[in-house]
Amino acid sequence: MNDLMVAKEQVRYEQKAYWRNPMAAIFTFLFPIVFLIVVGTSAGSARVPGTSLRYDQYTVVAMLTFGLIAACYTNLAMAICNRRETGVLKRMRGTPISVGSYIGGIIGSVLINVAILAVVVVGIGMAFYHLHFPYHVGATLVTLVVGIVTFGAIGVAVTVIIPNADAAPAVINGLYFPIVFVSGVFYPISSGSVLAQIADVFPIRHMITSLVSAFESGPGSGLRPGDLLVMLAWAVGALVFASRRFRWEPKHR
Amino acid sequence: MGTSETAVDTEIAISVRGLTKTYGSFEALRGIDLEVRRGEVLALLGPNGAGKTTAVEILEGYRKRDGGTVSVLGADPERRDRDLRAKMGIVLQECAVDPYLTVAEAVTQRAGLYPAPRSVGEVIELVGLAPKAKARVKTLSGGQQRRLDLGLALVGDPELIFLDEPTTGFDPSARREAWDVVRGLCAEGRTVVLTTHYMDEAQALADTVTVIAAGQVVASGPPDTLGGRDHGETTVRFILPSGTSLADLPLPGGVVPTARGEFVEFHIAEPTSVLHTLTAWALERGEVLGGLAVSRPSLEDIYLALTGEDLP
Repeated sequence: MNDLMVAKEQVRYEQKAYWRNPMAAIFTFLFPIVFLIVVGTSAGSARVPGTSLRYDQYTVVAMLTFGLIAACYTNLAMAICNRRETGVLKRMRGTPISVGSYIGGIIGSVLINVAILAVVVVGIGMAFYHLHFPYHVGATLVTLVVGIVTFGAIGVAVTVIIPNADAAPAVINGLYFPIVFVSGVFYPISSGSVLAQIADVFPIRHMITSLVSAFESGPGSGLRPGDLLVMLAWAVGALVFASRRFRWEPKHR
Repeated sequence: MGTSETAVDTEIAISVRGLTKTYGSFEALRGIDLEVRRGEVLALLGPNGAGKTTAVEILEGYRKRDGGTVSVLGADPERRDRDLRAKMGIVLQECAVDPYLTVAEAVTQRAGLYPAPRSVGEVIELVGLAPKAKARVKTLSGGQQRRLDLGLALVGDPELIFLDEPTTGFDPSARREAWDVVRGLCAEGRTVVLTTHYMDEAQALADTVTVIAAGQVVASGPPDTLGGRDHGETTVRFILPSGTSLADLPLPGGVVPTARGEFVEFHIAEPTSVLHTLTAWALERGEVLGGLAVSRPSLEDIYLALTGEDLP
């Protein structure tokens, strides 16, 4: 049984377990879609200043980001925490599975979720908000991949500071909800404002501005290297932190 | 010389010499020696915090040791070789399975991680979960989840199985069934290391009982002879015949009877002759020795004496 086949099997079981757990799916899919419909329909069709997207179209990009964070950061952190605290991670370490296959299985499953989310959210945008298919497909894909890596890495890293399963939802949501608000997920934040300056320390707003640029018509590649670099810096920091302090087992009594 | 050593080594599943482990300033293990032959059941007994779990987790490859040598199936578990992990089955205290998978899916998934797994259906049958094969793990009772856990540890067809308090929380009939499973594993030549707080479990299953207290092995041996149990003093106990007092009993010098309620009790190394005298004495008087009991020290007596957890 080689590692790749094991990882593929793991993806299958991850997906099965994922779709049978309503909470995780609600966070990733239902919330962004409901927000997209509610916020999008009330957002109107005026242009967001500084972009060529309308407010409702901007909501599509924002909700794609929101859902991606739910899939990569929230779901991943919750899953790792629950598995660590219930001893699943410890048990897996006692089997011959390689760390690569196990993590690969989880990442593979997250990729599938993000792909489904992107198709559904962008599909709704194109069907109801006259959103054009992203003008810069390459930039869109690059941004999504960087986003998955960044928020996935932060999701793994945040488990380090979560002491037990009871604290998990509070820590995981408490850390990112304030940042979601100042980052313009629910309403665009004009660049240069105080809020934007605070938000720009964190990766969420960079993900949104990067996706906006990829969706907009315009010359060039649509890539925003500055945004992507900030995100990648967070990813590297999170991975370094996680690799030093990651726990496979619950804390000792 | 070299060949005979190799021949001996293949007989030994686990060999531990001078194992030490310190957490901060706390010495969890202070020089443990263990030896388990293949096909044998080793029961590790000891009070909570004595170092049992630390010792087992070093054998399982979860912890690094500070000193000593450890060989498990000929390998050093600290290196976490996949070959070694493929030959071990581990049951921890908490059930650790994805709650949203079914029993059959969980066992199939686990089987896929091993080079030569057992048949999934056979394993589910073995742990008595065939009627629950299609049920989600989260719908199982606590006892059923622990049986699933055991099944997951067995599906890789392990040579060596670690069971951490395998029957805690089981009802008596479930315990007997679990014991039968363990006996079956030994009959197949597998080696079992189990920790337990139940003396009857150690008595029923173990070839060797090792008692750990304060990070050290305080006794090790077959359950029937552990801690000099076979040489220990016998307790004789009966109801004092009416109209007699302790002083009337024809006991040899040095044997002091004590009254415990209506019972009288004394300890003696070799009871044959004193029982003869005592019963003759009672028959002469036309009395009986009501509730007469002659008992060897139980494993629990020995354990409590060894671990200093003696009853007041």
